[in-house]
Amino acid sequence: MTRPGDAPSSGGGDGARRSRAAATSPSVSADALRRLADRLSVEAHAALERRGVSALTYMEVCGTHTMAIARFGLRDLLPSGMRLISGPGCPVCVTATADLDKAVALARLPEVTLTTFGDLVRVPASRSSLAAARAAGADVRVVYSARDAVEIAAAEPDRQVVFAGIGFETTAPTVAAALLEAQARGLSNFCVLSMHKTMPLALKALLELGETDITGFILPGHVSVVTGSGCYEFLAREYGVGGAIAGFEAYDVLQALLLLVRQTEPAITIEYGRAVRPEGNVVAQRLMAQVFEPCDADWRGLGVIPGSGLRIRDGFAAFDAERRFTVDAGEPLEPTGCRCGEVLRGVLDPAACGLFGRRCTPEDPIGACMVSSEGACAARYRYRGIDD
Amino acid sequence: MCLAIPMRITAIDGQLATLATEGLEQRASIALVPDAKVGDYVLVHAGYAISVIDEEEADETYALLAELAEAAAWDDSRDRRGERGGMSVGDGSQEDA
Repeated sequence: MTRPGDAPSSGGGDGARRSRAAATSPSVSADALRRLADRLSVEAHAALERRGVSALTYMEVCGTHTMAIARFGLRDLLPSGMRLISGPGCPVCVTATADLDKAVALARLPEVTLTTFGDLVRVPASRSSLAAARAAGADVRVVYSARDAVEIAAAEPDRQVVFAGIGFETTAPTVAAALLEAQARGLSNFCVLSMHKTMPLALKALLELGETDITGFILPGHVSVVTGSGCYEFLAREYGVGGAIAGFEAYDVLQALLLLVRQTEPAITIEYGRAVRPEGNVVAQRLMAQVFEPCDADWRGLGVIPGSGLRIRDGFAAFDAERRFTVDAGEPLEPTGCRCGEVLRGVLDPAACGLFGRRCTPEDPIGACMVSSEGACAARYRYRGIDD
Repeated sequence: MCLAIPMRITAIDGQLATLATEGLEQRASIALVPDAKVGDYVLVHAGYAISVIDEEEADETYALLAELAEAAAWDDSRDRRGERGGMSVGDGSQEDA
């Protein structure tokens, strides 16, 4: 098969490197990307005429896509009439203040070692943050994997190790697997504060609000590795909105957009076929369903969405931090002037927020979308000049 | 958050795999991809392999690019090489930022 642009960007490295790159991700030259962007331009104009509209608006709902689009400066390559907006795809950003307060309250318990992913630590909660609690003496540790938290529990039997679990379907199975491992190893000092959320119902809630005219979705590649494509079919069927499940290279996003503009009928297509199967990862789905069950979840910007969260099933109550510990987190307080909610619904461009880049920066963030590196505000701020 | 990095499995011991990428070695659980074998490329997220990369499907992603390359080849008049510079291109070293 022809591999356009294989040589220029693979740079003639050693054999192992070439074969790895070939297996995991095609090497694409700048020329090939330009051809892709040119083709996208031609077909987008055809789509605008065919649809009789003045704009095509595509929303990505994955923080890693937010980052990729900003990092590669893809907005600069888009044809006129095409707009990319970010939706509720950054797990740290969509975590409600009340849930953050709960994590902070747990961290303050003297017997608790609170473990979590790095991004969550700096997010401002109502009166504090995990970072501030740590500075004040709480035992808060950043881990790379829920497995690391299990290892801490095994190594430090005198500590109550709580893993504050955030993330979508990509991450929830890994936490389920870690919980099952803790159970198998007989660890009674490990539990999970589950703040996990699932993506399809958030997309439904967003479309029900009807605030933004969304032509189609760039669907999250690594969430879809687990879920497969079937869970998004309702978007096309019930709302007439198509979607393309996309990978994370520049060409992936451009190809996904090309697949979207080519749709004459709304449909769900897979651009990221090298990793995503239509049925998803069935083993991961099974583990997730064994440990978690759907519950209502509070999303920053979208409010409570019935059935869009994951709580720990009764059979694993001993591993559920909410049942193991009683904490008073107080009433949640939202930061004054912060418009993260509107940013997460795609109705406000990050740079249009009055705090953006002035009172709210990655170094001194007010809102969650400026804390996480993949928040729409942080990505825009970091790549300003490239991505605007 | 949903970052996942492709790595090649070099050894498997029970549910723990040793993985290699860019000359580095790392360990990850294969509890979520129990059929993974030594030599497979997997996507690793938060210490767990979540997908075995399908090399045939990887080839399929070239199809669109190949189509565009062919279209460009016979349309010499649209040779716009060098008109727009400064495009940064992922080298496939990881799946995302």
